[in-house]
Amino acid sequence: MSWLFGAPPKKEEAKEVVLDDNSGVVPSIQDPTSNSNSINNNNNSQDVSSILQSQYLDPASLHPLAGLDKEIEYLDLDDEKLNTVSGTSNGILPSRGWTDDLCYGSGAVYVLGLTTGGLKGFNEGLKQIANNQRLEYQPFKLKLNTILNHVTKHGPQWGNSAGVLGIYYNGIDSMLDACRGVHDDYNSLASGFLSGLIFKCTKGPKAMGYSSVLMTLAAGTWCGFKRYVNGPPDGSERFQ
Amino acid sequence: MSSSESDHSRDPCPIVILNDFGGAFSMGAIGGCLWHGVKGFRNSPYGERRLGAISAIKARAPVIGGNFGVWGGLFSFYDCSIKSIRKREDAWNAIMAGFCVGGSLAIRGGPKHILISAISCGCVLGVFEGVGMMLSRYMAWANKPAAYPTDVAPLGA
Repeated sequence: MSWLFGAPPKKEEAKEVVLDDNSGVVPSIQDPTSNSNSINNNNNSQDVSSILQSQYLDPASLHPLAGLDKEIEYLDLDDEKLNTVSGTSNGILPSRGWTDDLCYGSGAVYVLGLTTGGLKGFNEGLKQIANNQRLEYQPFKLKLNTILNHVTKHGPQWGNSAGVLGIYYNGIDSMLDACRGVHDDYNSLASGFLSGLIFKCTKGPKAMGYSSVLMTLAAGTWCGFKRYVNGPPDGSERFQ
Repeated sequence: MSSSESDHSRDPCPIVILNDFGGAFSMGAIGGCLWHGVKGFRNSPYGERRLGAISAIKARAPVIGGNFGVWGGLFSFYDCSIKSIRKREDAWNAIMAGFCVGGSLAIRGGPKHILISAISCGCVLGVFEGVGMMLSRYMAWANKPAAYPTDVAPLGA
């Protein structure tokens, strides 16, 4: 515990702290063998809070440079600083900021699109095998290859589009959060609208309108899902 | 990429796969925007350079994002699986995960292609882990705790 007491001149202070100090060593506060006697002798305080508030742990008597005169910090949670924008806790995952939102949002949407597109391709491959007379009596390997070709054609296509949409949505959402200082459904709907608009911005106004309406609906669905998971607004949690 | 128990900036294992999918996809897509934007701009004739850049980005950047995303997500998936099987965290996890990723991505190329790709991917991850270990050891050497002097002759005596 020499790091706690710092420089050797502080040894005298440390000796004063523990009453029955008979060895010459610096007593360690967290060591029960050297410390339990003194605590027991004093006022039989076995409670944690009373031990922490007792005179033996008076922060003023310890080294001033150790910075112990603050509140007790059980863990250094600097890395786990959560998002500070109000309303960001969605009840599903804690968020550390816009990077977490971006990664989880685009990742989840990408995997969703990949799965959906893969299933669509699987369906198409099966259909082609059923419809194609030449393929019907081919070996299994060739049929499998047909299905895999369809899966790998549609899966990445859907996944990439969905992932790009996820990047747009989460990026715009985080920007709006930072601008307005609050994370609510209006931000979500607006960023859905804008991301649909950007996604089809080279295809003309009609496609832009369709995609932005669809994205707004998707954002609204996500908001409704969050509200459902978070429970009614009176504070009672639905899933505990 | 080397993981330690005190790494609180990453989430626990099953959910971190989604994070890695998204992070790798975003990295690839944004990087692909820059790369193919410049490439499409330079490869287009004068007067159509902006259009060329935009169409190159539209055609190619999501594909790069998808490649990155699948690589990162599969790596995270295998890393988590190997962690839960071996019950320990060391550099071999990443190397084995890289081996599995290389094999999985080449799964349609036949056994020889699978083996070559898996081994080369594992070697690349091994080099990454080795360099990371060397760096962390170097940093630890620079910050090593100094021993207190026990018997020092008094100054100026």
